[in-house]
Amino acid sequence: MTPSSTTDGPDRIPGQRAAVIWGVIATILVVVSTIGVFLVAPEDADQGIIQRIFYFHVAIAIASLVAFAVACVAGIIYLRTRSVRWDDVGEASIRIGLLFSVLVVITGSIWAKASWGTWWVWSDPRLVTYLIVVLIYAAYFVLRSSAEDDRKMRYSAIYAIAGFASVPLSFYSVRVAESFVHPVVFTSGGANMPGTMLWWFVVSQVAMIALFIALLEVDLLGRRSERALRRLAMRLESA
Amino acid sequence: MALVRKDLRLELRTRETIVAMVLFAIVMLAILQFGFGTRDDDLTRFVGGLMWVTLAFTAVLGVGRSYVAEREQRVLDGLLVAPVPRTVMLTAKAIAIFLYMTVVEIVVIPLVGIFFVKGPYWDAIGWIAIAAVLANICIALSGTLFSGLALFTRARDLILPVLFLPALVPVVIAGAGATHAVAGGPHDMSEWRGYCLFLLAYAILFALVSVATYDAVFDD
Repeated sequence: MTPSSTTDGPDRIPGQRAAVIWGVIATILVVVSTIGVFLVAPEDADQGIIQRIFYFHVAIAIASLVAFAVACVAGIIYLRTRSVRWDDVGEASIRIGLLFSVLVVITGSIWAKASWGTWWVWSDPRLVTYLIVVLIYAAYFVLRSSAEDDRKMRYSAIYAIAGFASVPLSFYSVRVAESFVHPVVFTSGGANMPGTMLWWFVVSQVAMIALFIALLEVDLLGRRSERALRRLAMRLESA
Repeated sequence: MALVRKDLRLELRTRETIVAMVLFAIVMLAILQFGFGTRDDDLTRFVGGLMWVTLAFTAVLGVGRSYVAEREQRVLDGLLVAPVPRTVMLTAKAIAIFLYMTVVEIVVIPLVGIFFVKGPYWDAIGWIAIAAVLANICIALSGTLFSGLALFTRARDLILPVLFLPALVPVVIAGAGATHAVAGGPHDMSEWRGYCLFLLAYAILFALVSVATYDAVFDD
């Protein structure tokens, strides 16, 4: 090891600072939005306390779509540049997006139990769509684990693109000629809720997207340090 | 065109894929009937689901076989070296899958009527056939893409259904919806049209994705 790297701490992994900054931002926003949602936002006259799950349910859903969009774009860039970095971004995004969509299904199911009395409602298009989305992206990891190296990254990139193409299809397919039992909050005419609720919704939405970015940065940092560690081990072995 | 002819000639000589697909579909229909646990003859209400679940699983079977000749006889290596644009390969494969599915449907669609429907069905068969043609295009396009991805993976027979079936869910929903709209009663044409338009949109979207990414599938 060279003396310069010991004084400067061990080789600094790029992105460490970004991970810390986003981690702090996400933590603050999540705490603020949780407090706001439970203590400040007005209680829904119709649904009572359970309506507060909406702030998380919808915010996580949109954040997961953002994650899948990021993975799709990363896939396109990977296919053009063949740079491992973009494969990392794609996989990390899908991992977080999948986690978020599982949470969407769980929170949706809890909400369904509270307002319709059953854990699962097949006639609710959005809940069903998310189940399909979870299945689509769970398959991504099956594909990834069964291919090697360059092929693995290529196939993952293609599947991330094709998967993101099937997301809107799933959304529409369960909606054609569906009865809408789902509370439709956002219509093309604008948001269907009072101002303070909208405000807290925006806060929790921003919090969830910040959480996504923070998790992404931490995940990428983990990968980078792992690679750096492996390089170091190789260097030690050859020395 | 020569590539399509190659697939079809190979198939006509052995007939192994298509015969297996048709048999599989018939067995599926019988299993579904028993799976309902009813000896009730009238399953008109479920006819769309019965038909499209069967067709989806049969599609997985057929799509899984579609590259076997290429891989086993190392035809693929030759094809990849040959100056054939990848989109031509894609189209040839998709046409072959499309034709396989059409043959299966020529058997399955009337059989579903005979087995499960008590009531008017035969006057709707033209509408069902149109929806089926659209669905076949969807199956052929997404099937070609996903089987290309699964081709060189470990446990490829396992990977393909896991990749392909979730992507087929919208096709099953639309196919079953379109069938349900016209079978066994008054025809709900606006609903049928909605599902057919959806299938068309699916086909266009997957055609774009396939053309854009297919080069990268065989990029070794």
